[in-house]
Amino acid sequence: MRPLIERRTTPSIAITVAAPAAATVLTVVFSFLFFDALGHNPVSTLHAFFVMPLSSLNGISEWLLKASPLILIALGLAIGFRANIWNIGAEGQLILGAVAATSIGLFYPDKESVFLLPLMILAGMLGGMAWAAIPAFLKHKCNTNEILVTLMLTYVATLLLSYLVHGPWRDPFGFNYPQTALLPPAAMFDPLSGPYRVNNSVYITIFAVGVTWFFTKYSFLSYRISVGGAAPTAARYAGYRESTSIWLGLMAGGAMAGIAGMAEVAGPLGQLSPHISPGYGFTAIIVAFIGRLHAVGILLGGLFISLLYIGGDAVQISLGMSSSVTRIFQGALLFFLLAADFLIFYRIRFVKG
Amino acid sequence: MNRPITRRKFLATSGAFGVTLGSGLMTKAFAANDPLKVGVVYVSPISEIGWTKQHSLGIDAIKSDLGDKVSITAVENTFLPQDAERIFSEMASSGHQLIFGTSFSHGTPMQKVAPRFPGNAFEHCSGIVHFDNLGTFEAKYYEGTYVAGVAAAHMSKSAKIGFIGGFPIPDIVGPANALLLGAQSVNPDTTCNVIFLNSWFDPGKEKEATNTLVSQGCDVICSMTDTATGVQVAGEKGAWSIGYASDMSQFAPETHLTAFTLDWSSIYVQAARDVAAGTWKSDVRWQGLAEGVVKMSPYNEAIPTDVQASLQELQASISSGGIHPYAGEIQDQDGNVRVAADSVMPDPEIRGFNWFVKGIIGNMG
Repeated sequence: MRPLIERRTTPSIAITVAAPAAATVLTVVFSFLFFDALGHNPVSTLHAFFVMPLSSLNGISEWLLKASPLILIALGLAIGFRANIWNIGAEGQLILGAVAATSIGLFYPDKESVFLLPLMILAGMLGGMAWAAIPAFLKHKCNTNEILVTLMLTYVATLLLSYLVHGPWRDPFGFNYPQTALLPPAAMFDPLSGPYRVNNSVYITIFAVGVTWFFTKYSFLSYRISVGGAAPTAARYAGYRESTSIWLGLMAGGAMAGIAGMAEVAGPLGQLSPHISPGYGFTAIIVAFIGRLHAVGILLGGLFISLLYIGGDAVQISLGMSSSVTRIFQGALLFFLLAADFLIFYRIRFVKG
Repeated sequence: MNRPITRRKFLATSGAFGVTLGSGLMTKAFAANDPLKVGVVYVSPISEIGWTKQHSLGIDAIKSDLGDKVSITAVENTFLPQDAERIFSEMASSGHQLIFGTSFSHGTPMQKVAPRFPGNAFEHCSGIVHFDNLGTFEAKYYEGTYVAGVAAAHMSKSAKIGFIGGFPIPDIVGPANALLLGAQSVNPDTTCNVIFLNSWFDPGKEKEATNTLVSQGCDVICSMTDTATGVQVAGEKGAWSIGYASDMSQFAPETHLTAFTLDWSSIYVQAARDVAAGTWKSDVRWQGLAEGVVKMSPYNEAIPTDVQASLQELQASISSGGIHPYAGEIQDQDGNVRVAADSVMPDPEIRGFNWFVKGIIGNMG
C-alpha cells in the first residue's frame, strides 16, 4: 500500500465545513502541549496572543496598521495568481513605490501643497507598476519566468534603496547615517484619530477591497484572465490574449504594492532607511492564499496574520516568551490552516504497489 | 486553482477567534509596589555571541545587581521601525520605567515614543538624538580596532588586512579606518581591503567575502557583523582573524588574534540604579577602553610576548589619552590631508566618519 494524492473532482462539502474546525482543534491541541511543555499556561498564553492585543483602542489601531498593507498587497497579487501569474516580488514593488513617493515628498517644491499626498499616492502606484512592468515585458516578449525575475528584482530594489539612502538622498543633518530627512507634515497621512498610529491610508485599502471584489465577481476581463490561468489552451481557443493576463496580473500587483509602500513611508515610517518593510511583500503571498484569492477572504486573512504577528510580540512582553517560541507557534498555526485547506481539494488514497 | 470559497474562510478565521475568545479571561494587574520594570528591545535573537548577546549580558548584570527589585521584559528580533515603535509604546504604557533600545534603527521610534511618556526613562544605544528622557550611549569601537590593527600588522606577512562591515555607517567606517591606522603605525605600507555586506547577519555572504579577501592576499580578517563566520572561515583558510563584540576564539582557537569586545554592563546597571533611586537624568555617553566598555579579549599565544606587552601598553596609553587613534596626519584615499599633523580629529567628525583613509581599498557601496 502506498499513499497517493489526487485531486477531487468536486471540492468536498464535508471537509469544507470540517477543515477550519479541524485546524482549530489541532491548533488548540498543539498549543496546549507546546506551551505546557515549556511551562506556560496555555489558556493565558492564547489569551495573551489573540485577545489582549485587541483589548485596547491602541491595540486595534496597531492591528489595522499592520493588516492594511498586507491586505492591499495580497489583493493585487491575487489578481495575478488567478491568472497563473506568479508575482512573488511584491516586496521590491513596495520598495519602488516607497522610493517614488518619497521623491515627491522630499523634492516637490511646495512643501505645504494639498496636492502633495495625492501626487505621492500616484507616484507610489506608478513606481510599483514600473517595477512590475519589467517582468511583464520580459515574459510577454521573451517568455521569461516571472517568478525568477520578480524575485530577483526585489534584491535590485533593495540595493537601489540602499544606494539612495547611503548616497544622494541621505539626510544632510543625520550624522551620515543612512536615512533620508523626515517627510514634511503635508506629505504624511493624518491619523484616524488622536494619538493612534493607524491613519487615513486604511480607506485606500477598504476601497481596494471593494474594487477587487467587484472586478473579480462582475467583470468579463477578470473572467478571461481566470480562464487563461485555469486552462491556457481553452483560453487561447476562445481568443483571449495571454498578454492581457500577463500585463494585468503584474500591473495589479505592482500598483497595490507600490501604494502600500507609499503608505508605509507616509505613515508609520516618515522617512526612508535601508530597510523599510518587515517582509510585507512576502507575507502578503500567504495572506492571498489563506484568503483563497478572494477579496473578502484576503481582508480576513490579512487581519488574521496581522493579529498573529502582533500577538507574537505581545506574548514576548506580557509573558516573557522568547521570539523563537512565538515563531514556532505562528508557523504551526499557518501549517494547520493551509494543510486543512489542502484536503478540501485533494484526497489521499492508499493504492496497492 | 479553485477559489469560490468565502464562507469557508469565514469559518476558518471565526473559528480561530472563537477558540481564543473562549479560552478564559486573564487579566494582568499591576500592584503598586511592583519591582522596577525594565524593558529591552533587541534587534536579533539572543545567540551565543555577538551584538545582541553583549546587550543581554548588560541586562543580566542588572538582574544580578538589583535581584528581586527588578523585573525584565525583553523583546527579541525587532529591527524595523514600524514594529519597534509599537513595542516601545506598549512597554512604556505597561509600566516599564526604564526602556533600552539597542540599535540605531530604534532611534526614530524612540524619538516618537519618548515625548509621549515624559515620566519614563529611555536609553538608546548608538543614538544621536537625545531628549530630557532619552539618553544615548555608544562605544568607541575605533579604540579597539586600532589596538587590533597593531596586533594584525605584527602578524601579517602580506601587509594586507581584510575588513568586512555590515553597513557603511560611521560606526563601521571609522573603526575600519582605525584598524588600518593602527596597522600603519607598525608598517606604513599596510593596506586594507574593505567589503560591506549590507546586512548584519548573512553568513553566506560573509563566507564569500572572507574567501574573496583571503584570495586577494589578506592574511588578517576583521569582521564587524553579528556572526562569527569571518573568524571561522579565516581560520579554515589559515588566515588570522579579529573578533568583534564577543570573544570569538572558540570558533578558531589557533588563528583568532584577539577580539574587541563590548561590555555594556556598567551603563545598564547605572541606568537601572539611577531610575530605581529616582535620580536618573538623560545623558550622552561615549565610552571606550578607559571605561571598560571596549575590552580586548585575551591575545593569541602566537603573538610574541614582547608584542603582547606593547599592546597592553598601547591600551593603557589610549585609556589615559596619551595616544589618540585619529591623531594627525591622516590622509584620505585620494591623498588629501584631512587631519593635520599635531591635531586630533574632532569628536563630531569621528561620529560622522564618511570617508576612508589612505591605504583602504574599496568604497562605501
